[in-house]
Amino acid sequence: MMTMNRSLSLKLLSGVIVFGAWEIAGHIPVSYGFPTFLESMAALVAMAIDGSLFHAYIDTLRPLAVGLLISAFLGIALGLWIGLSSWFDWLFLPIFIVMQAAPLAALIPLLVMVYGIGLTSKVFVVCIMAMPVIVLNTAGAVRNTPTNLKEMGYSFLGSERDIILKVIIPSASPIIFSGLRLGTSAGFIGAILSELKITPTGIGDIITYSRSIADYASMYAAIFSIILLAVCFLNLLERIEHVLFEGNDRGYASD
Amino acid sequence: MKKFLIKAGLATILPISIALSAPAVQADTIRIALGETPSDELAAFFIALDRAKANGLDYEWTAFSDEELAIQAVLSGQMEIGFGTPYAAMQRAKAPVRIIFQLSKLKFFPVTTMKYSKLEDLDGEPILLHSRGGGTDSIANVIESETGIKFGERSYVPGSANRVVALVAGQADATIIDLSNKNKVMRQHGDKFNVLPMFDVEASDEALFANLDWIKANEDQVQIFVDALLSVWQEMNADPTMVRRETNPEGPIGQLPKEILDSLDNFYADAVAGGLYDPNGGGRKAAMADLEWYSNAGQLEGDPSTLKIEDFWYMAPLDAAMN
Repeated sequence: MMTMNRSLSLKLLSGVIVFGAWEIAGHIPVSYGFPTFLESMAALVAMAIDGSLFHAYIDTLRPLAVGLLISAFLGIALGLWIGLSSWFDWLFLPIFIVMQAAPLAALIPLLVMVYGIGLTSKVFVVCIMAMPVIVLNTAGAVRNTPTNLKEMGYSFLGSERDIILKVIIPSASPIIFSGLRLGTSAGFIGAILSELKITPTGIGDIITYSRSIADYASMYAAIFSIILLAVCFLNLLERIEHVLFEGNDRGYASD
Repeated sequence: MKKFLIKAGLATILPISIALSAPAVQADTIRIALGETPSDELAAFFIALDRAKANGLDYEWTAFSDEELAIQAVLSGQMEIGFGTPYAAMQRAKAPVRIIFQLSKLKFFPVTTMKYSKLEDLDGEPILLHSRGGGTDSIANVIESETGIKFGERSYVPGSANRVVALVAGQADATIIDLSNKNKVMRQHGDKFNVLPMFDVEASDEALFANLDWIKANEDQVQIFVDALLSVWQEMNADPTMVRRETNPEGPIGQLPKEILDSLDNFYADAVAGGLYDPNGGGRKAAMADLEWYSNAGQLEGDPSTLKIEDFWYMAPLDAAMN
């Protein structure tokens, strides 16, 4: 209880410091195009009341959700495969290392040329951002499963399937989830990047439109809302991890 | 341990704060924020920069990938002079910036597949534009009000070059693009696309603007710059081939591929014929056209006849240059 209160008060304190600094910076102002925190929150409430924010999220969440689901399932499966087999490691790992290092913004015109300006390109951008980190983390965690745990499994006459499901995956799960969290954050970045660079829809449309009519409060409100959504989603992932693998709970700073 | 952490924290934060608070450049060098990377469209501007430099203007330029970023850089005081049409920022954010010279007019062209031959044919048809609230969106609004049609679904793809790719790939049947891309697409695929005839637009696409206090504190420097721009704009309108002739081979335009340099004469001949560059730097005529245009486009609020030109333009340097 004591720890929870301390954790909550630290979170509140950090919120007060960050938003207080934002408010002060808006009043100075650091730029004529930088609104105060309260102006931005008022714009956020106005967009929520007139429904434009929710309509925008319907557009933004479509490529994000599809991209993240593909990245999570395919990424973990490929990561397991690569981690378990040195042959697949040799075959696939370089692709994901290149994907992770590639300057995505520069590749966007190429994606548009091949997949057009629709949903497919945006899903690709989300996947390119999210998948490498999920695959690389999963592969690394699976490859580095402690040998003594696997030998223990074999000594209890566990089958290959038992070893994978009951030893390797639970042992690798903290790193897999850490990859999922990093991949999800990258996926959010990819979704907004695609809306700013390919076609301005959803939250990307609110950002570009508000900027072009100098409604900077709405622009920052839209950016704030997507960060808030990403943070909430990451917390949800932590909860899921906690439910699925209770033993992994090592006290994250954000708990 | 705690003491060590505090010391380590201070040791990290202090140098960073000092580094961030130090001015990046010497104050007397004028920092110019370009709204796009150097291209054929900026060749005349760079000639004006060279002339201004010869007359004693000390400047450095930074190319931003987007006009909005150039506007933000001036609003935050990181740059002194910027490219763009920051009317909404001047009115809504009350930014004390003023336009001093119209660089180009909003000359965009509706380009469609052979299915359409006049603007009226686009009634109810989908169209590809730059972005909601952007220049081409406002052109589409004015086309609707002038011709009485109503476009179908508006899709947005930033950048004329990207819209040309979508048009050529068959992902769109109608779009609005700039002069350079219109010429390119008609040269390469003239048998597949139509350029629909359109009314004249006098409003600014690109203008030069700066902080009003800074302009007044640096009137000599601003005057050198506006004099250089006006002389180039007038000479270019009299003889478009001067751009190719006077382009510095060592400068950012001179370093562009040979094909682009070879096309400069055609580009500027077309641009001058199409009235893209006002030989008088815009002035009051452009200011009034802008107020009306950007009000219709939704970037300015209120009746355009009640808006005051002096709230958006600072005419003194251009007036002095004209005399």
